[in-house]
Amino acid sequence: MAAPFHAWAGQPERVTVTGEVIDPWCYLSEFMWATGSAHHQCAIWCARGGIPVGILGDDEQVYIVLQMDSDPDVIGHHGILRMQSNEVVVEGDLYVRDNINYLAIDTIIDDHGIVNYSHDEIEIQPFGD
Amino acid sequence: MMMISKPVVASLFVFALFILPNLAGADDSWNLTGEEEVRFDATVTDVLCVLSGDCPPDCGGGKRVLGLLKADGELVLPIKNGGPFTGAVADLLPYCSTVVTADGLFTINWGVKTFAIQFVRPQEGKWQRANQFVKDWATAHGLEAKDKKARRWFRNDETILEIVGEQGKLGLKDKGIEP
Repeated sequence: MAAPFHAWAGQPERVTVTGEVIDPWCYLSEFMWATGSAHHQCAIWCARGGIPVGILGDDEQVYIVLQMDSDPDVIGHHGILRMQSNEVVVEGDLYVRDNINYLAIDTIIDDHGIVNYSHDEIEIQPFGD
Repeated sequence: MMMISKPVVASLFVFALFILPNLAGADDSWNLTGEEEVRFDATVTDVLCVLSGDCPPDCGGGKRVLGLLKADGELVLPIKNGGPFTGAVADLLPYCSTVVTADGLFTINWGVKTFAIQFVRPQEGKWQRANQFVKDWATAHGLEAKDKKARRWFRNDETILEIVGEQGKLGLKDKGIEP
């Protein structure tokens, strides 16, 4: 059944993205503060629960991660759970489909850890603890 | 991005978005930005397969990002299901490469449209509530999905407890910063 989908494949763009590893659902749905240390625990919850992981780029674009460090097994992946909220520099193939940015990352160039101390202004999301 | 400063307001809001959907019927509004209640037919597929041609036979066995490919070529990203802090992969994986009817909400923000699936129906099958992750988690822990520990799985999951234990709730434990 997989073969017919090859017809949909397009040429990706090679990109380097710097940004924060986020839960894209919380960010895009906009119902809570969804970046930085204040949202760190919730981001782990969502990634463990099977919500795809995203990167909020310095260009303010959201990138849905399809592959991390050449590994396409990204759903609930323990290594990615541990990267939540970190600022990373990654390189990979960008596919844009129906106005969504999908990123197949093959190289993690740098991982700066958490640099967004949002808890200085925002309580722990979403429950305060 | 909206900033919530009062814990009570935040808790009520999250309760409405994460808990109430489990209790309600099809096409229930969550009052999301750019929300649209939708029902459509689409083929369950591995997104990376559609985009790159890298196509494992089982849609990745639950470890890859899944999408819903409509007959008109639109690739819908089902980013959320009806459970608390859970995604849609467990709901869709059993129907890899087959057509389902999906019912839920589009939300469009910053020009990005994503899909929160609330119910799914296989061809010639019955409607199922899209909360499979919690059901699977409960089963793996010898519980029923209605059990309080399962409904609050995110507070009880061993992997989460391990990582949050290591990193702290703010992720800054290694820097000596904790709530």
